[in-house]
Amino acid sequence: MPDDKNYYEIDPQGKLSCRKCGVPLVKGDAVFGYLDNAFPVQLPVCPKCGFVYVPEELAMGKVLSVEKVLEDK
Amino acid sequence: MDFTERSTRVYRTKQLYTKEELELRESRCVHEQPAFCAAVCPLKLDAREFARLCSEGDFASARAMLERITPFPLILACGCEAPCASACRLGELPGGEGLDFPALERAAMRLGAPRSGRGLLKFRKKKSAAVFGAELFTLAAAAELARKSYPTTFFVAESCAEELISRCAPFLPEADVLAEAERLCGMDMDVRYSCDLSPELFASLSGNYDLLCVSRDFLLELDASAEPDPVTLLCPSPGVLSRPSGERGVLGALYDARRAGVSADRMAQGMDPATLRGEEGPVVSRLHTDLSSAVPSRRTGEPRGGYDSAAARAEASRCIQCECVECLRGCAYLRHYGKFPRILTREIYNNAGIIMGDHMMNKALNSCALCGQCSVVCPNGYDMAEICLSARENMVATGKMSLAVHEFALYDQIFSNTEGFLARPQPGHDRCRYLFFPGCQAAAIAPEVVARAYSDLCARLEGGVAIMLGCCGAISRWAGRTELSAETDSQLRSALDELGNPEIIAACPTCAVTLGGLSPGGVRGIWDVLLELGLPASASHAGASASLHDACGARGDARTQGAVREIVRRLGFELTENGWSGDRAPCCGYGGLVSYANPEVASELARSCLDGPPDRPQITYCMACRDRLAREGAQSVHILELVYGVQAAQTPGISEKRRNRLLLKQTLLRDIWGEDLKNEPLGFRLDITGEARALMEQRMILDTDVAAVMRAYRESGEAVLDADSGLLSARLRLGNVTFWVKFTEDSEGYTVHRVYSHRMTVETR
Ligand code: SF4
Ligand code: SF4
Ligand code: SF4
Ligand SMILES: [Zn+2]
Repeated sequence: MPDDKNYYEIDPQGKLSCRKCGVPLVKGDAVFGYLDNAFPVQLPVCPKCGFVYVPEELAMGKVLSVEKVLEDK
Repeated sequence: MDFTERSTRVYRTKQLYTKEELELRESRCVHEQPAFCAAVCPLKLDAREFARLCSEGDFASARAMLERITPFPLILACGCEAPCASACRLGELPGGEGLDFPALERAAMRLGAPRSGRGLLKFRKKKSAAVFGAELFTLAAAAELARKSYPTTFFVAESCAEELISRCAPFLPEADVLAEAERLCGMDMDVRYSCDLSPELFASLSGNYDLLCVSRDFLLELDASAEPDPVTLLCPSPGVLSRPSGERGVLGALYDARRAGVSADRMAQGMDPATLRGEEGPVVSRLHTDLSSAVPSRRTGEPRGGYDSAAARAEASRCIQCECVECLRGCAYLRHYGKFPRILTREIYNNAGIIMGDHMMNKALNSCALCGQCSVVCPNGYDMAEICLSARENMVATGKMSLAVHEFALYDQIFSNTEGFLARPQPGHDRCRYLFFPGCQAAAIAPEVVARAYSDLCARLEGGVAIMLGCCGAISRWAGRTELSAETDSQLRSALDELGNPEIIAACPTCAVTLGGLSPGGVRGIWDVLLELGLPASASHAGASASLHDACGARGDARTQGAVREIVRRLGFELTENGWSGDRAPCCGYGGLVSYANPEVASELARSCLDGPPDRPQITYCMACRDRLAREGAQSVHILELVYGVQAAQTPGISEKRRNRLLLKQTLLRDIWGEDLKNEPLGFRLDITGEARALMEQRMILDTDVAAVMRAYRESGEAVLDADSGLLSARLRLGNVTFWVKFTEDSEGYTVHRVYSHRMTVETR
């Protein structure tokens, strides 16, 4: 997962917002970690409180498959 | 005890077995042993494969096999004494006859087209060979040497090829003499006919050649006292290869010629001909073949002109293709991977040795049910369970085993032995003579049955009956997590001690085995007790036919298997048994935690246990079996449901299984000990849609996980709103997992629409 551009297409419409801060989420830098491996990614993040959103398709898709690969290491 | 994730950047391994330990295990499997017919052939014709090709009518390939093993296949086909036919297992059946290999060989030579082309162009070797005197051995040896590309000269007294062939193979019919003579003429060999074979000729010529081979008669002329080495066939004093004394027939002559060829190769390289010869000659096969369903049959008579294609196919089709497949016949796991235990063992062994990189066999070694069926059905007791379990322990110890595979099950054991745990003496008894241990699965699946059984035991047994709700520790054992196993052992041991070390009455055969080593007071199955006491009034009397699924926990335990059958009989059932019951029974897929590691294999295992029409009850005496078989559509029923006249719910989900254990504990505490455990109320509405419920089962997410996410949301108010769907998403990290809940909210609470999780951590940078 080194290439974080293909990793997740952030929805540009601004349909996601932070419930607490009431502001739209923006593209932000985040890092996934698992079993001592780190993967920089861009994810929807709240510009105020820093809440990082991991959408279901991403969690059950790419994230799960990378988890499985690492689990056999 | 909590589990923390490992690091894939710690590079550690521990050898799973020593070389000897590995070989000891592998050598038990005889699958790759040669068939009996093939083992006895000194020329190493794979007779089983030859028979298969003939049965398929592929005579060209069958013929090619014969041409590969000997330079004169017609001589072989007409003269071979055929030990293969005598060794054929079909001959052991009463009234049966072994396969007629010579007739098939003749048919293959006649019906099969020769392979065209001379093959690769071969360079002639530097060392040259000379062969003196005609007999079958020298004829074949000359051809072997020519085939090995030694420039070969064959000195014979005969005047032409036909005369030479007739002389060497007098039994050969006219037409075959011509064919083999033609074959001889086509060989890259210089035959000098009409020679005056004398010691003088030999003396004058022998110096021109590097490799010398002579007929037995000629050898005696050269030196009457010479005797070749029985293995290398080298006779050192004249320095020739020749046949040892004694008649060994046509096959023996052809085999000796091959051995002479091997010696020639060694000598041509300047080596001692006795070295590096490899395996030669017939071997004793350790193969096992199940003949129980083989039907005796007799040979297809060979007419004067030989078999036609149909007759040859008919004769060859009698072959049952001897092989050992007992373990695969029994085990759906082995069938799934399509590998025999020996291969699996080697791959699992290699897997444990991988320091860096992918452990491709982890899933496979986690998919064995550790059920022990293979060690019963294998003629040599191959024990995959021991191998897979020791591999799991090894991988856990070296930090190469993923926690994700078994974490849910391990926390289930911990739940059973903390929140769900209960250990109490019967009221009025400080120390009890007995202790009822229903097992975590009985409490999870049929709590009502457990409650009834306990009150029955209390009412009818003297000396007090304590109860212990918990997990015996089988889960951590199966997962190879020895630390948790040790912790569980000591917890259970001290609880037993406090209760006066009563005799355990287990309602699960696996618990009985696991607790056997722990309990100073001994362990018995509840079936034994019920047989002694007699069935209670609640027992149903069915008078129907049923099948019985034996639990792998009871493998090798004739007493339990017998007691259960007796109870089933007293319940009025007529039992049908197939060949896979008792010690040979397959596993339902709960064993070894397969259902966590590989749901697909678990379901294949469960399906392999289904026996009889789907509406016929399948009785079990392990609650996990009951549950797994029901999931595959069986009318499975636990024997205690029948004894106590309560039907448990069909296939409860993962959260219900936990709730049932808590509820059972609370009910017993309230009804028997008068203690009311108050449930902490949630304090808000939490509805879970059918869609979310299904996702929770599939993704192994518990009600309590969802409730924890919502509680955290209520405190923090942190969530993301998706304007399109109108759903809020909140998350919480619990242990090694982040849970996400998608929900809608109103003033009273929440409706959960979807749930998911991931094990990766996520942070901003
Ligand atoms: S039963 Fe399986 S493991 Fe045992 S010898 Fe036969 S093939 Fe090998
Ligand atoms: S049945 Fe077939 S494989 Fe078995 S010994 Fe006979 S010929 Fe060989
Ligand atoms: S699942 Fe059972 S029968 Fe199959 S290999 Fe494992 S222990 Fe043997
Ligand atoms: Zn925010």
